[in-house]
Amino acid sequence: MFDGDLPRRTVMKAAVAIGSAGALSACLNRADGADAPTGDPDAKPSRQHAWREHVRHDDHGNTQLPAHQILIYFDIDGAGPPADDDRAGLVETLDGLDRAYEWSNDGLLHSVAYSPSYFDRFDVDPAGVSLPEPSALSPFESPTFDRQDAVLHLASDRPEVVLAADRALRGERETANGVTVPSLTDVATIDSRRTGFVGAGLPAENQDAAGVPDSRPVPEASPLFMGFTAGFRGNQATESYVTLDSGPFAGGTTKVIANIRQRLDDWYDEQSYDERVTELFSPGHAENDLVEGVGETLGADSGIDRFVDDVVADAKEYGRVGHAQKAARANRDPEGNVRLLRRHFESTDDIGSEKAVASLHFPSLQRTIAEFETVRRSMNGTDATAATPAVRQRVNNGILEYIFARRRGYFLVPPRRHRALPTPDPE
Amino acid sequence: MERRDLLRAGGAFAVASMAGCSSLAETQAGGVPSVLEDRPDGVYRPTHVEGMETVDTATSGEYAVGLLYSYPHRFWNVNGDDVSLTEIDRDDAVHLMASVWDRESKTVLPETGLSAELYRDGSLVSQETIYPMLSQPMGFHYGANFGLDGDGTYDVRLSVGAMQIRRTGAFEGRFGDPATVDIPFEYSENAKAEIDFRQLEDAGTPGAVDPMSMGSLPTAVAPAESALPGTVLGSGTSNDARLVVTVLDDPPSGIDESGTYLAVSARSRYNRMVIPAMGLSATLDRDGETIADTVLERTLNPELGYHYGTVVESVASGDDLTLSVTVQPQTARHEGYETAFGGLLGGMPDLTLGL
Ligand code: HEM
Repeated sequence: MFDGDLPRRTVMKAAVAIGSAGALSACLNRADGADAPTGDPDAKPSRQHAWREHVRHDDHGNTQLPAHQILIYFDIDGAGPPADDDRAGLVETLDGLDRAYEWSNDGLLHSVAYSPSYFDRFDVDPAGVSLPEPSALSPFESPTFDRQDAVLHLASDRPEVVLAADRALRGERETANGVTVPSLTDVATIDSRRTGFVGAGLPAENQDAAGVPDSRPVPEASPLFMGFTAGFRGNQATESYVTLDSGPFAGGTTKVIANIRQRLDDWYDEQSYDERVTELFSPGHAENDLVEGVGETLGADSGIDRFVDDVVADAKEYGRVGHAQKAARANRDPEGNVRLLRRHFESTDDIGSEKAVASLHFPSLQRTIAEFETVRRSMNGTDATAATPAVRQRVNNGILEYIFARRRGYFLVPPRRHRALPTPDPE
Repeated sequence: MERRDLLRAGGAFAVASMAGCSSLAETQAGGVPSVLEDRPDGVYRPTHVEGMETVDTATSGEYAVGLLYSYPHRFWNVNGDDVSLTEIDRDDAVHLMASVWDRESKTVLPETGLSAELYRDGSLVSQETIYPMLSQPMGFHYGANFGLDGDGTYDVRLSVGAMQIRRTGAFEGRFGDPATVDIPFEYSENAKAEIDFRQLEDAGTPGAVDPMSMGSLPTAVAPAESALPGTVLGSGTSNDARLVVTVLDDPPSGIDESGTYLAVSARSRYNRMVIPAMGLSATLDRDGETIADTVLERTLNPELGYHYGTVVESVASGDDLTLSVTVQPQTARHEGYETAFGGLLGGMPDLTLGL
């Protein structure tokens, strides 16, 4: 499948994105991830979601998420509460990962999270945290809900690291980075494996996926298919903010993961740059020329706060409203703190088919799932559609015309001490 | 003449063969006549009319959905005041149309929002948010051109969005959920080429083609003036949108106000197609004084149909009612409608009616 002359990094990146067994083995014949820094289970942070201090940042202090990521959705074998053996087995697997890699973008960051279905096995809700079933959050979507017991999220800047960890977890090899990692399949069945990438260059490299027009419009500098940067430090919650502060799961957080198909023909071919800025940020951003290129002029903050009260007025004046503008207005607590910590990354997965289609995996961390739901609903802009027929349910209404939610799941990320098959009220 | 014949007649013969059937000798590569140079500022007879085939209908929840197709169409997109031509793309194989109606009353439901996914053997071919459109033969519908991977069976999934405009009377509380239907579409170039394609001798003259019969599918025709509930107090046109004013002694259920209900039913001149998605406001003057100045809200009601309505304290004979279109109808336009109702040339003059 691969030309012998392909540079190793190119092969690796392609392999995570493609995710097929063929690509993977081609890749692992070349490298087994055996030169990454190894880790010490006792040197890991107590929060599974403690990533920020362990990844790259840009000049403005914005987090640069690890470039290669994999989500492994799995179901514990058997019905009812998990057996102690299974718990012990998962402890060994996760400890194995911790030994195999340093906790960093150069090694491996990971976290495991549990769904409401998992806690249903106990017939008891998790203590001190509300973990509802996932639901539709817009007047038009009907996503399939991910109700697997759990999801394990792997992230690294090195493609061979996530691939080796993934392969060990799936039982296709015994070690990763030279360290034994017992397979997840000893205690669970893997239901779905989703892959992705984020960061300048990668979307441009993968833009032959369906959903991106043939004009190859994605700029090299863009970390996302839509051509702009997201996740400015000032527009993200801190890890502390999203951390549960009481109850047995204190130190944990809640996690929503959606998968969103992107259809960018009209985004790029029907719209001007200013219209894209208008729809992704706000009409004010376009009017005041606040955005250049992929957003590098914005620094550490998108500057959206001054436009959040203008949604209805902008709808009437411009016939368009911005995505960030609509979302941000519900994304501040009364003190002005940002509520959500978004960690989305791009993908060419088309869940359920082999075809490469542009999509986005959208993990978001927040103290309560309800906060996510409120912010996502705010993105519907129903007040803007009521104010003028120019803004429609999905057209001229931020980016809703181009994104199609296919999956959504809600999860609890326990603190590290309870990460292996927790009971609803762990000691 | 069938379009297939036109295509066959292409190349060097195109001009000659066209000259026989129309004074508009110019054709485009695909056999579609060019847009007229000189169009009236209003509803006009288009250069050509294409038939359409009903693929199938399906139901889900409260909705029934029909899927139809035809040759790819050019159309004009409307965003606010901006009206721009979307040409047929080289890769476009069909124009897919969807109509959504209430299963019970058979009322066509504008403004639900609609998106379509096309699959072939489980693999995605396309997915789009579909724009609402107005065409003379069909009136309000959702439509878009799609490229296909040749002849074969496509699985079309249509997602209907929940209605966000006000619903009153027996429609109160209805159409509040989204729904999805799957309709298989057997596509072949040959079958498509059988679809009727007709050029009009009198293209460019004021008027409209007749609504096309769509079998069991309801059309989005507004109620006749005589069928509107309440007292019809008058009507007039603004850039060929006919605005009919009726008043009801009490607002329909679902409106929590008391007073006189003032409703405006907007329909196209000539063929009475519902004109939805406008911004409309009204001023009521009595004895030289403005007694009401209000936005009319987009509303769906079983008896009034899709209309623009508001509650005022009273309406008396001798009042002057001025209707102002603040936002032209936000639907894409098929040929013959692109200069009407605002459209390319803009301008929907205020309408003042002595009541
Ligand atoms: C393809 C899909 C998406 C893309 C490309 C995208 C991109 C962006 C961009 C460029 C911004 C402005 C910069 C920033 O503050 O990060 C933004 C803001 C935001 N997005 Fe998205 N987004 C997508 C989907 C979503 C979804 C599904 C949600 C769900 C809740 C969401 C929530 C937010 C929030 C809350 C903000 C505002 C942050 C603030 O409070 O200032 N986004 N997005």
